[in-house]
Amino acid sequence: MSETSTRQAIAAVLLAWTAALSCSVVADEVEDFYAGKQVSLYIGYSAGGGYDTYARVLARHIGKHIPGNPTVVPQNMPGAGSLTLANWLYNIAPKDGSVLGTIGRGLAMEPLLSGIGTRFDATEYSWIGSLNNEVSVCASWHTSNVKTVDDLKTRELIVGGTGSGSDTDKFPTILRNLLGLNVRLISGYPGGNDVLLAMERGEVDGRCGWSWGSVLATRPDWVADGQINILLQIALAKHPDLPNVPLVMDLARTDDERMAMELVFSRQVMGRPFLAPPDVPPARLAALRAAFDATAQDPQFLADAQRIDLELNPVTGAEIEILIRRMYGASPTAIELATNAVLKAGR
Amino acid sequence: MEASAFEFAMSALGIMLEPTRLMALSSGVLIGLMIGVIPGLGGVVGMALLLPFTYEMDPFAAFGFLIGMGSVTTTSDTVPAVLFGVPGTVGAAATIMDGYPLAQQGQAGRAFGAAYTASLLGGLAGAFLLAISIPILRPIILYLQSPDLLAICVFALSTVATLSGKAPLKGMTAAGLGLLLAMIGSDPQSGTLRWTFDALYLWDGVPLVPLTLGLFAIPELIDMAVARRSIAGDIKLDTRRGQLDGVRDALKNWWLVLRCSWLGAALGSIPGLGSAVIDWIAYGHAMKTEKHTENFGKGDIRGVIAPESAANAKEGGSLVPTLAFGVPGSASMAILLGAFTIHGLVPGPRLLTDHLDITYSIVWSIALANVLGAGLCLVFSNQLARVAMVRIGTLLPLVLGIIFIGAFQGSRQWGDLYVLLGFGALGWVMKRQHWPRPPLILGFVLGGIIERYLFISIGRYDWAWLTQPLVLIFFALAVVSLAGPLLGQFRMRPVHEVFEFKAPSFATSMILSIAVVSVLVAAIIVSADWPFDARIVPQVVAYTALACISVSLLFEIFTARSPLAEATAQRDVPLADATLEPRERCRRSAVFFLWCCGYLVLALLLGMLPSLFVFVALCMHFWGRESMMRSVLLAVCITAFAWILFDRFLAVPWPQSLIGTWFPALQPYLP
Repeated sequence: MSETSTRQAIAAVLLAWTAALSCSVVADEVEDFYAGKQVSLYIGYSAGGGYDTYARVLARHIGKHIPGNPTVVPQNMPGAGSLTLANWLYNIAPKDGSVLGTIGRGLAMEPLLSGIGTRFDATEYSWIGSLNNEVSVCASWHTSNVKTVDDLKTRELIVGGTGSGSDTDKFPTILRNLLGLNVRLISGYPGGNDVLLAMERGEVDGRCGWSWGSVLATRPDWVADGQINILLQIALAKHPDLPNVPLVMDLARTDDERMAMELVFSRQVMGRPFLAPPDVPPARLAALRAAFDATAQDPQFLADAQRIDLELNPVTGAEIEILIRRMYGASPTAIELATNAVLKAGR
Repeated sequence: MEASAFEFAMSALGIMLEPTRLMALSSGVLIGLMIGVIPGLGGVVGMALLLPFTYEMDPFAAFGFLIGMGSVTTTSDTVPAVLFGVPGTVGAAATIMDGYPLAQQGQAGRAFGAAYTASLLGGLAGAFLLAISIPILRPIILYLQSPDLLAICVFALSTVATLSGKAPLKGMTAAGLGLLLAMIGSDPQSGTLRWTFDALYLWDGVPLVPLTLGLFAIPELIDMAVARRSIAGDIKLDTRRGQLDGVRDALKNWWLVLRCSWLGAALGSIPGLGSAVIDWIAYGHAMKTEKHTENFGKGDIRGVIAPESAANAKEGGSLVPTLAFGVPGSASMAILLGAFTIHGLVPGPRLLTDHLDITYSIVWSIALANVLGAGLCLVFSNQLARVAMVRIGTLLPLVLGIIFIGAFQGSRQWGDLYVLLGFGALGWVMKRQHWPRPPLILGFVLGGIIERYLFISIGRYDWAWLTQPLVLIFFALAVVSLAGPLLGQFRMRPVHEVFEFKAPSFATSMILSIAVVSVLVAAIIVSADWPFDARIVPQVVAYTALACISVSLLFEIFTARSPLAEATAQRDVPLADATLEPRERCRRSAVFFLWCCGYLVLALLLGMLPSLFVFVALCMHFWGRESMMRSVLLAVCITAFAWILFDRFLAVPWPQSLIGTWFPALQPYLP
């Protein structure tokens, strides 16, 4: 061999060796950081609800997939629909990777759509992943004369809502404002189950913004026995269970309308989002993301989730990051359309 | 159906009496008793805490565990209520009215005996009512529409008149204030932020726990501090016999117990009508329907029996909508729903037909838990009653310390402590100026749901709902309930005495009235530029309250003896020590309140737990005049206890303290 090629070979070997060494050094660094530590997983809602349940199941299993096997402790920090936690995570929480959080799925878009009280930049969070890619449905009671989404163009459907800001309020409002569908919202019910009760009583005829996973978990017999008609599914893509139910995105008539709907419904993709404060060191963030993805495939985790009927369609942190950047790059027209679409007709 | 239901009931009992299930139930009961005793913790915290432990249990044991816990918190919450005037859970505030004076008269044992017996009987009655109505639960609930629920809540609100004693106008104003407080936060209709003044903390509204603790507990503690003597003073205690007396009292008043427990169960089944209100409604009901009620508020045993039986019956009642429809009857029921999902059960018709064994096992769990809980309380209340003899210097700092941490459970932010102290100050002023406080809580708890149901009713039915039969009945009852005490005032005096004018004069008793007028006017002004949906109900309430307090004030200024604003509002706790000169009393109260504020400042600086230690040690030594050794020792004990319970067990996320911000290195060590 010539001298040059020998030197090249040696350089290559040295390079490879250094790379391997630094990788393991970095990996060791992550492991050293997390070994014996306690990682806090803050939940932006109070105990017992959907977000809390998902977070606690995750917390039970993700620790062993993080190098160093830290204990992951769930803690509730509710307030202002998880806005308190979101602001805290962005501004105050330690950025070293020892703090994780789960916030409301719609919060990442809130600075764009309303900006009230938000003190964070959603593009700067360290997104770790989402445990579910949600699909919500609009359902009408079997006694209603609205049986398909086309009926909504001519006949009125009275739906119940749980209060401004909730899916059950926002989604029918958008359908009405943006798509001109005949949905009349009666809002103020204390909770989703109260709306279902109102449907049985005959006080309202339907509910929009009802998570499909929740339908299957709480009222499977309504679907099986035909007590409700599933009119529409609300997400960015159809649910495998519902191939024949129209998708809301397909009802968009212009590109701006489509973008506006994406702005609001992108929250479905990050249905159960987990994140860390901004500026977490890249190696640790990568480890956290890998741990999240591994947990989502972990048989014990799956068994736990299965037992309590948690729907799981995981989305990676990288995908969420791309989605959010895309949303924040939307045109001003689309953003304005979206902002106006969620406003209820004021008096 | 009858026969098979009975068979199910019996077999369910057999299932529950199995050793493992009984053990699960008993553990739940023990935990529930402890939770009830600590102010600030309630059934909700317990449910949230215990739910994960039930994943591995079989359904019967799981429900026995959870329901066992939830059924007895309202039994043991009597303990601090009677001994210190501090409600153990928000449902014990009404018990303080007569329970605390009884303790001051040395009859704590009697109060305990009566309370536990009433709790036991009430809980059993609630369970029984649930059991027999299982076949007809669903049709009944389906029949009630939102307007009917609205009318029932309005009727519940109208009991403020009874609870206002001789100052019905002030009571109505207080209720109005409570309603307005309930509307602070994000409006469900339009999302408008009402009266939040840019504070994120208030978006979800003012939390109930610190408000109740502040309004009822802090004034009692201040009065205790002012009097500077132990709760029972120098009166000899005789608890053993006292307890038996109490038990006999409760049994003697069995008809009252029955009525109140059915009232509690029925109201408990209405979602949103929580324990914070039900005990007051039962108290008001007792005042209205019993004979010789002059001593209510001064130590009438019936004033303890009524709320206690209602509060325990509520648990059975709140299970009604939960089991029948999965609509949680209370916040802890919402968490219990999670337990159903975990075990693959869906509340609804299936539960009431295919899974009748589970349903009845739940009923039996309530019954057994109540028996066990009351039994344990009776056994130990002897020891507990002795606390009334402990020196105030030792007792007060400890109780105060626990209250602070307990109040913090409201929403676990600094705002909770501000709410605690703010309402503590308000409660103390109200007490001094003889304003009734229960109406404020009633208005606060009911305000939210009344506004929601009102909008749903009008939105859905326009105005047609006003002619529904149930609505008319309950509205009529409400009017009668309100008008009665008002007219009664006039009936007691000849008309010319009522309107006996004099030269306008000013008295210190008008200070609060004037302040309230200013607050109401300010609130109305701020609400002027809200959207219509957001401001209509608050403004109607504010104008009505303004009218009430203005009339009351005019009477006070211009008439000699105003019947509608008489100085003694007997329905509130009598002032402990009338022998003290007002100025000295004010001075001592101010000093004690300053200590409380000092605690807040310390907490902001050092964090909750370190400041607990420092505060208890300092307060006990300098204010309580205890020895340094004793102070430090007790401070260590209570801090350790709080640390184990709140930090290790409940995993409370402590807020950022100033020291933590200035010296980040210390942060991990500062809870």
